[in-house]
Amino acid sequence: MKKENNRLGWLFTSPYIIFTIIFFLLPLLWSFWLALTDWNMISPKINFVGFQNFITAIKSPAVQSSFFVTYKFLFVFVPLALLMSMGIALLVHGLPKFKGLFMVAFFLPYLSSGVVTSLIVKGLLSYNGPLNTMLRNKFQMDVDWLGNPNTAIFIVSLMIAWKMSGYYGLILISGLENINQEVYEAAEIDGASSWTVFWKITFPMLYPAFFTVAVLAVGISFGIFTEVYQLTGGGPNFATNTWQMEIYNQAFVNLKSGYASAVALISSVVTFMSIGVIRKLLEKWGERNGWS
Amino acid sequence: MKKFLLMSTVVLLGVTTLAACGSSEKKESADDGKTTITFWAAPNPPQLKFWEEMATEFEKENKDITVEVSQMKESPSSEATIQSAIASKTAPTLSENINRSFAAQLAASEALIPLNEHEEFETIVSDRKMTETIKSWKFSDDNQYVVPVYSNPILFGWRTDILKDLGFEETPKTYSELLAVSKKLKEVYPDKVLWAKKDLSDPTAWMRWFDFFPLYNAASEGKAFVENNKFVADEEATKEVFELIGSLQKDKMLLTGESTDPFENEISIMSDIGPWTFPNWAEKFPELKFGENYVIDTPVVPDRLKGVEKVSTYADAKGIVMYAQATEAEQKAAMEFLAFVYGNEENDMKLLEMTSLIPARDDSVDNPSFATYFEEHPEMKVYAANVPYAVPAMDNELYNDIQQVFGESGWVPTVRGEKGASDAWKDAKTAVEGVLP
Repeated sequence: MKKENNRLGWLFTSPYIIFTIIFFLLPLLWSFWLALTDWNMISPKINFVGFQNFITAIKSPAVQSSFFVTYKFLFVFVPLALLMSMGIALLVHGLPKFKGLFMVAFFLPYLSSGVVTSLIVKGLLSYNGPLNTMLRNKFQMDVDWLGNPNTAIFIVSLMIAWKMSGYYGLILISGLENINQEVYEAAEIDGASSWTVFWKITFPMLYPAFFTVAVLAVGISFGIFTEVYQLTGGGPNFATNTWQMEIYNQAFVNLKSGYASAVALISSVVTFMSIGVIRKLLEKWGERNGWS
Repeated sequence: MKKFLLMSTVVLLGVTTLAACGSSEKKESADDGKTTITFWAAPNPPQLKFWEEMATEFEKENKDITVEVSQMKESPSSEATIQSAIASKTAPTLSENINRSFAAQLAASEALIPLNEHEEFETIVSDRKMTETIKSWKFSDDNQYVVPVYSNPILFGWRTDILKDLGFEETPKTYSELLAVSKKLKEVYPDKVLWAKKDLSDPTAWMRWFDFFPLYNAASEGKAFVENNKFVADEEATKEVFELIGSLQKDKMLLTGESTDPFENEISIMSDIGPWTFPNWAEKFPELKFGENYVIDTPVVPDRLKGVEKVSTYADAKGIVMYAQATEAEQKAAMEFLAFVYGNEENDMKLLEMTSLIPARDDSVDNPSFATYFEEHPEMKVYAANVPYAVPAMDNELYNDIQQVFGESGWVPTVRGEKGASDAWKDAKTAVEGVLP
């Protein structure tokens, strides 16, 4: 019986195992091999360069800069996404009617193409776009939104937060729906203020969902590419040149596939470690407050 | 052990099933005696249509050759698509949309076949009347890897309606004349700028083709920038270009923020323009009429070159290459296909009509076959007339690195007003020499 169960188990998990081996494990191994060579994927000559690509990448000012840019995005995007998704969840949850309709409306940006939304934002913020035209006419101001490093990072982060907050909001709403109403009624009888109710009841009971959303948002910030590629191209002066942009440019513009592979592997290790650290910190925070 | 065997069998089954989906090694020729060649057209629907028509006509006369035309994928970029195809041994026989610099990169990696090794090549060059044009496409190893399809000189559009308002009847030809226009523009229309382009302050390598190189080629009378892995740029010309850009930046005559169609919307009065712009204008900005409210002219030149007749500029020129993965039979068939297309000047007329791209021929302006077209499209005639003075991209496999560091250390700091011409030149020279082997 046990052996039979084992066979069945292997059989049912085999599609996933095969998929993982073919599309994750083999490319990972191949990528590691590529990172040890100077191959540009065109030339018949492939030279083994050992760990030289990794050393060059670690010393490269462009890679170092993209490391910091990625963290800048993390510190701007994650709080924005959490605030916006929490706002959406609380707003929709409190609605007496049409909850589903509003949730779908907030979820729609998640389904939209990053390229299309980037082009729309680009048009809105251009010199002769509606915002700058209004600012010029009313306040004699001209703001180069995407040409200033600080505003460019904020705008890209805001745009991705707008896109993702409906999806994250959905996760938070399901958490809110699971909170027993009787707890709120008891708090009301005790005369607790809305602020107290949020911090003493809603947030602690929502913490598992909040934790999931926070980890997802951290993961997203390490993979920012489309919006930056479309809106700023990594500029101004590399201020928004994320890790993914650097990998793309090295691999597909400069055709330095081996080097790009080394940068990608370094970035994946750092991403993995960063997510692990942030996850641990969130867990500790939850444990200390008795939320998890 | 049994568990391991079961697992291994399942994995092996999956891998072999997927492997069976892949293509087998190329055969020298197909079983039915037909040779099939593949052609990747540029990711531009009119160009795809043109090559599909060419393939159909060719196949009518050559029953033993099939030409499969498909559009080159542009995701993430056409260069990356070609790179992946070569790596996975699925490269086409021929592809268009290759500029001289990318061809140099491919040739250095032994991914291309020197076309001059095929006897048909000389016939193609003479039949298509491109003996002069092809000279600038010769690579440093004395081979020809590209059959240029089109050559678009990058010229400058001027809003003549605004120039007239400012009191100028003619477009500026020299730096002094340009600065005079700029001064007047600031006085009369403080909200307008001379040149509005976000890319000016972006160090991305290819962007220099459409700002620095047209001005540099004009100022240096077409001198090389990098030759045989040596930085040979004309110092005087480069510094003059930097000085001009520095002056415009100081006068706030450059707008480097995002702006939508600034030339068309009268935010700027000058813009670098390629001939591909006109079909878009006809649709989106029908009010723009050549000779009425705008004209096309060559780049401005330093005062020392005042009156010079032949003004050089950058050529956005692309052509066809043959990949080294092609078998001998495919190479032969591919050369026959090219000889067919370029053996009839009507096909170039079709290219011009269908794509608004200037055929890379020496005789585009004088050829009677094109006369009617140019009468109907006088703006295109200006481009055709400048084809012989247009310099294609540099022949160096490191062009991306070269242009990137040049942008970072010379051009962009000048545009941003962070460096003077001498410092920008010195830093750019050091940076480019640092990239070269």
